[in-house]
Amino acid sequence: MDHDRERKAGETEPLTPVVKISRRAMVAGMVATTAIAAVLPLSNSAFAQTSDEDMVAFLVLSAALTGVDIHTLAPEFSRGSGDILSADPGIDPINIKSAYFRQVNAPGTAASFAKLLQIAKKNPISQENIIATVNHSDDDTKFLARSIVLLWYLGSWYEPADLKNAVASPESVHGPITQKVLSAKAYTQGLVWQIVGAHPMGYSNLQFGYWSRHPHDPNSGVDLFSPAKFPL
Amino acid sequence: MADNSIMCDVAIVGSGFAGSFIANELSKQGIKVVILEAGPDVQPNFNAYMKSFFVASSKVPESPYPPAVRDSQNNFINPNDVAVGRPSSLTVGGSTWKNPDQAYLDQSEPESKRPFKSTYERLAGGTAHWMGLTPRLVPNDFRMQDKYGKGHGFVNWPIDYDTIEPFYRQAEAEMGVSADVDEQRFCDIHFPDNYQYPMPKIPPSLFDQLVSQKLADLDDRDTQFLGMGRSVTSLAVRSLPAARNSQPYRNRRACSGNTNCIPICPIQAKYDPTITLNEATNNGVRLVHHAVASEILLENGRVSGITFLTYDSEDGPKTGSGVIKATVYVIAANGIETPRLLLMSKNKGQTPDGIANSSDMVGRNLMDHPQYLSWGLLQDPIFPYRGPLVTSAIGELCDGPFRAQRAAFRVSLGNEGWTTVVGGGARFGADPNVTTLDIVNGMNFSGVNTKDHTGLGGDNLALFGRDLTQTLGNLISRQFRIAFPIEQNPDANNRVRLSSAVDKLGLQRPKIYYDISDYTKQGFAAAYHLKKLIFTKLGAIDFTSVPKDDPAAFKIDGIPELFSYGGAGHVMGTYRMGKDPKASVVDEWQCSHDHPNLYLVGSGAFPTVGTANPTLTLCALALRTAEHIFKTLPSLKS
Repeated sequence: MDHDRERKAGETEPLTPVVKISRRAMVAGMVATTAIAAVLPLSNSAFAQTSDEDMVAFLVLSAALTGVDIHTLAPEFSRGSGDILSADPGIDPINIKSAYFRQVNAPGTAASFAKLLQIAKKNPISQENIIATVNHSDDDTKFLARSIVLLWYLGSWYEPADLKNAVASPESVHGPITQKVLSAKAYTQGLVWQIVGAHPMGYSNLQFGYWSRHPHDPNSGVDLFSPAKFPL
Repeated sequence: MADNSIMCDVAIVGSGFAGSFIANELSKQGIKVVILEAGPDVQPNFNAYMKSFFVASSKVPESPYPPAVRDSQNNFINPNDVAVGRPSSLTVGGSTWKNPDQAYLDQSEPESKRPFKSTYERLAGGTAHWMGLTPRLVPNDFRMQDKYGKGHGFVNWPIDYDTIEPFYRQAEAEMGVSADVDEQRFCDIHFPDNYQYPMPKIPPSLFDQLVSQKLADLDDRDTQFLGMGRSVTSLAVRSLPAARNSQPYRNRRACSGNTNCIPICPIQAKYDPTITLNEATNNGVRLVHHAVASEILLENGRVSGITFLTYDSEDGPKTGSGVIKATVYVIAANGIETPRLLLMSKNKGQTPDGIANSSDMVGRNLMDHPQYLSWGLLQDPIFPYRGPLVTSAIGELCDGPFRAQRAAFRVSLGNEGWTTVVGGGARFGADPNVTTLDIVNGMNFSGVNTKDHTGLGGDNLALFGRDLTQTLGNLISRQFRIAFPIEQNPDANNRVRLSSAVDKLGLQRPKIYYDISDYTKQGFAAAYHLKKLIFTKLGAIDFTSVPKDDPAAFKIDGIPELFSYGGAGHVMGTYRMGKDPKASVVDEWQCSHDHPNLYLVGSGAFPTVGTANPTLTLCALALRTAEHIFKTLPSLKS
């Protein structure tokens, strides 16, 4: 995992992270690559056409909507000193952001996705403005925003149309709202667990007895949830 | 597997807990053992099951394990098209439970009054999706008729607690059980003076600690309804004995709280039978997998062989057949599949009611521990989804004078939030998805998205950003569930029969008749009153609810609310032990009264079920049976 891209060949000093990566994300990344099949080796190479600016806009949008720190969504995100939209989205070993970007950018939802990216690009500084603008958008766009939040929170894809139908006529909902776990990796990267001070069921790297202690107990070894910080 | 004749000393059908334990014990004595396993072999790489679990959209107990229940279009696969099927948690309600084209168990007839909700696995290692809890039965559980009368169909076990006690210890060592021996001395449970459990107890969760604190000081007028025959001024919350490492044990790690015991522990800190099975096969036991026992053959009153069918893929078809011949035969296929095999064994019309069935008890007295499920919201965060799914319970209410009138129960404290209960059970899939969807999409299927609970300005709000994280974090961290597993009394009308519906191998599938008795319903009533007391002491808001169209629903006189139950995964009673061959199927050694070289092991042998999870007891019985088989094998050979 090469944090510092300026390193010269043959240097023997220990690598220093450019961006703080939680120990948990690092370990999770390593475990993910061994335990879970099909991690793309060169993540960004599959999306040659995704510009960094679009990816940053997606991250800004996601941080605003999910309320989660952009560095949790993209551990290698590097703000830089210039315009937020010229920030470096970074390449991290898990790279769940690319899988989510690809899912949301599929033909059925690409048009609404483009509108959401525009909202983020037009107003990347204010979380409240992004949320208010999304809430005042057309239904397709608004419900897609909810699908995106659910992706980040649960690792599952809920079709915007199904979400819309569930609200419009709840009495017609007799079974589970159709969802598709995007991948094993996506499930293990779900954020709802971190928000409640826990871990995905079946995916904990904590130590025996931690459950007897409060999550904020310093001996818990738990990475606590980081809320989104605007302006970025 | 080509058409085949296998010879050995002891043939075992099924490689779950009982089958693996017996195979292992006999292999240590140099006995030649062959196991027929209907499903696939032990997986070389555990991660295959983990991956299936991670991508499952419904994380029900069977989700890591084959065979698939739904196809790529998300429709239920017709069990007619599955070679080795088993029940699914997805088809125990709604209209699916009555439809044999969707549900593996045929419960289509009117005699199937309520759904039998427990499930099991059919593959090497058996029902490894178990919770891992290993309490013992208490002494009175073995002598229900003597203590509490015949009125509710109770009978006595042919053995008592003292007889099985040394085997409890042996089973606890084999699995690696963590518990504090002093804490377990209630309801007359006793141990040899110097006994220590293999490992120290699993520490209590934050929720356990809260409940313990709130129930430490009670007014005995509030607990009189329990009928304990003594003043109850506190209820002790004790760590449950569990086959869950609290230390490294026999090359396996200590639990790290993956909160996934059901359905699968990612690090095998929870014992599962593949561990014992691997020892057995390393010791020379041969496991024949993808081999489905199809008929038990009789000759002159003794079993002379068992035929089996082979197949390659989940959707069949049959690829071949064979027969296994041994001196002694052990059927360890579980409480539904064992009676199924016995009933299927017609011996060309010579045994039309199946074998080992002169008592007509094979398949009868099917019992579960139906669970009264309750859930709520605390005033302050308790942080669920941390630690094993269940760490502690209130056990001491499992015995007392009240058992002459109503069923006993234990109180199981859950650490998994509302994952198994919200939205009418499995209706909307597991939480936290339901609660999260509610707050993101402005719905209220969980019941929690109202301004009273969120503290926000309206009901059914849809949130983003800081509001979302704070609201969701605040709500989910206060969710809890308490389950009350309730005893069932024997009822000969609750039974396993054969369906006309078949599986892909052409074998008749199990047909189930099941209902809940008044005796058990009165147990629910007492649990309901206790729930109200506990929730009051916790200051909790009760969210327990039952949809009107729930096929399991029932009412109890004097209580306005509707009741329902969950399955505990305990399949018991269907070939019970007893001294009288007219009223039981096997003797105290689990040997068939009718056939001296046939053993029927597992929780199907239990004549009464108490309130303890059955696994430890069935393992103890299996060890005792293995010893008996070893001693009597020479005489049967001659």
